[in-house]
Amino acid sequence: MKIRIKIMLGFLILAVMLAVAGAVSVYELRSVGTSVQGLLDDNYRSIEAAKKMIEALERQDSGMLLLLSGKWKQGRQTIQAADEKFTDALETAKNNLTIPDEKSYVERIHKAYQKYRLLWDQPIAGTSREGNLGWYFEDAHKAFNLVKLEVQELMAINDSAMYKTASSLKTRAHRAVMPGIVAILSALVLSLLFSYFVNIYIVNPILSIISAIETFLKTNEPVHLKIATNDEINDLAASVSNLVAMVQRNRNDSRR
Amino acid sequence: MRPQIIIRYMGFVLLFNALFLLISAIVSAVNGDTARLPLLYSAGVTALIGVFPIIYVPPVENIHNDEGLAIVVAGWVMSALIGTLPYIMWGGPFTFTNAWFESVSGFTTTGSSILSSIEALPLGLLLWRSLTHWIGGIGIVVFMLAVAPWTGQAAMVLYKNEISSLAVENFRYRTRKTLQILLVVYLGLTAAETLCLLLAGMGFFDALTHSFATIATGGFSPRNNSVAYFNSPLIESIIIVFMILSGIHFALIFLTLTQNIKRIWKSAIVRYYLVAMAVGVAVVSLNIWGDVYADFWQALRAAAFQVVSLGTSTGFATADTNVWPGFSKLILILFSLQCACAGSTSGGIKVDRVVVFGKSFLSQFRKMKHSRAVVALKLDGTVMDPAIVEAGIVYIVLYLCVVCISALMLTFMGIDLMTAFSGSVAAMGNVGPGFGMVSSLSNFAMLPDAAKWTLTLVMLLGRLEIFGLLMFLFYRMIR
Repeated sequence: MKIRIKIMLGFLILAVMLAVAGAVSVYELRSVGTSVQGLLDDNYRSIEAAKKMIEALERQDSGMLLLLSGKWKQGRQTIQAADEKFTDALETAKNNLTIPDEKSYVERIHKAYQKYRLLWDQPIAGTSREGNLGWYFEDAHKAFNLVKLEVQELMAINDSAMYKTASSLKTRAHRAVMPGIVAILSALVLSLLFSYFVNIYIVNPILSIISAIETFLKTNEPVHLKIATNDEINDLAASVSNLVAMVQRNRNDSRR
Repeated sequence: MRPQIIIRYMGFVLLFNALFLLISAIVSAVNGDTARLPLLYSAGVTALIGVFPIIYVPPVENIHNDEGLAIVVAGWVMSALIGTLPYIMWGGPFTFTNAWFESVSGFTTTGSSILSSIEALPLGLLLWRSLTHWIGGIGIVVFMLAVAPWTGQAAMVLYKNEISSLAVENFRYRTRKTLQILLVVYLGLTAAETLCLLLAGMGFFDALTHSFATIATGGFSPRNNSVAYFNSPLIESIIIVFMILSGIHFALIFLTLTQNIKRIWKSAIVRYYLVAMAVGVAVVSLNIWGDVYADFWQALRAAAFQVVSLGTSTGFATADTNVWPGFSKLILILFSLQCACAGSTSGGIKVDRVVVFGKSFLSQFRKMKHSRAVVALKLDGTVMDPAIVEAGIVYIVLYLCVVCISALMLTFMGIDLMTAFSGSVAAMGNVGPGFGMVSSLSNFAMLPDAAKWTLTLVMLLGRLEIFGLLMFLFYRMIR
């Protein structure tokens, strides 16, 4: 193999290695990006919706207490506003089912909320329930706690899924970095080998050719060059040997 | 010594490893698991680094003995180093130290692991883990020589440096023929065991990886509970038979199968190997019967598997030997020291040397009785060369010295005596499990990093039969 091809192949190997390392890193980094987006789209949206639901529930509970205390107008307004907010948040959760079984959690919230809704949907002011704290603690507050618990469970499964995704991001980031590190270390090794081979198979033979020519010029001894490789250096050594032999013949002829 | 020649042969070793990495990557890609990119990238990098010296260094007809030794030792170290690539790139529990430990343990067919949950690994990585056993089983360079069409003086020098000195004496064929015998027996046993395990109801992947580990006398199982996972007397029996076969000199198996079935019984080494194993099983069965197992057949089943597993340096497990009585533990440690026959894939001191030691002891005894008698040491009717006897005894002494030094170093690191000693015996004999913290159903994860590095050095010393690595490290001094 000729030196030109050897050098070209050497650099080609380095280039391929770095290109592949770059490609693998880019692929893994894109996966990390997609995972981060997925994390925000899938889990964070559900957690936000669950937080809004809890906030709306708390306001509905306050509205219920206002109704019990006779402030029916203020109470109704508070409850209506919170109901809209809760329904919106529940709709968001329904449209963002990304975890296995998440649908059943959302359905349980829906059912529990319907039961709770029935309690304040019926008139309270001017009925036996107005000012009836016993009814509030026995029925209304229990139903409120049940809905809250279901919403908290939805939040917990999304929290857990988010933690899992975040943990896998760490592994993905590791896998994105490692090809680069391996490529750098391999490139270092190959560079050292390359300089060693250039020294052994290119520089040393040239030095021995120079040394042989100098010896010939001083002593007129024939040149014996042994080159291990079958490349331009070998051709050069053969040409030098021929040239030296010719010069030697001419010298001998001129002496006669 | 010509370093460029050694580097050229390293290129072939790397290409050979790259081929197996590629196979694992393909399996991983077909399975769609997370190891496909780490395996594929490792295969690519390994192939590229391997091709580099082959392009630059021209082929040579002859290599010197010291170069052959350097190629073999560097081949093992380089393979173990390349073997870490898919592990560290995949991540998880694999720090560089852990990946190095797992890789050295795989290639040297030790079978010790740092993994707490093996089943959490993707399929492709599990296959690579098993393949390291299979590549290392008959020796990386021997495997390469057997597969590649290399002949001549270079192949002979490499073969003599790679294979156990005792096994070289026993092979009476030319290098090429010997390599062919090794390959045929190795592939034949692997295929036969895979088939038997499939018929016994194991899945293909489990059957293949367990066969790789059995025939290489390695011990890596893709299951957290090793062979105990299957809880099948039939599967255990099949593995026992193949573990015993893998511990017999491969040339003897070849001759028995191709020439004379009775030939195997004519070998004093094999007779001792089988009788010792049978006595070991009987004694351990009786010792654990009652204390650990109420039923005698259960005791016999567990004892047979564990004695054969450690006595052949395989290291599979079907029982937690840590809870067995001290006597049984000691018997298992003795089997871990001795292991099986030379010329097989087994590690340890080897039965051949133990027999030679025993005969030497008896001849000394006779000499003491009859001081003027000329006592010749014979094995299978052939008078043994005193140099081989001496080398065998020196090896045993050196072997025990390495075990003691390793145990000393581990205890210095704060590890308890049982773990340190049994771990060192297991690493030196390429057995796998020890006792204490590193028992049959446990792992080496909790050991400090320094202990893991010490044990990997001991594994390499054991696999290269001490002299190989020592001569490589102290070549100039010895010369």
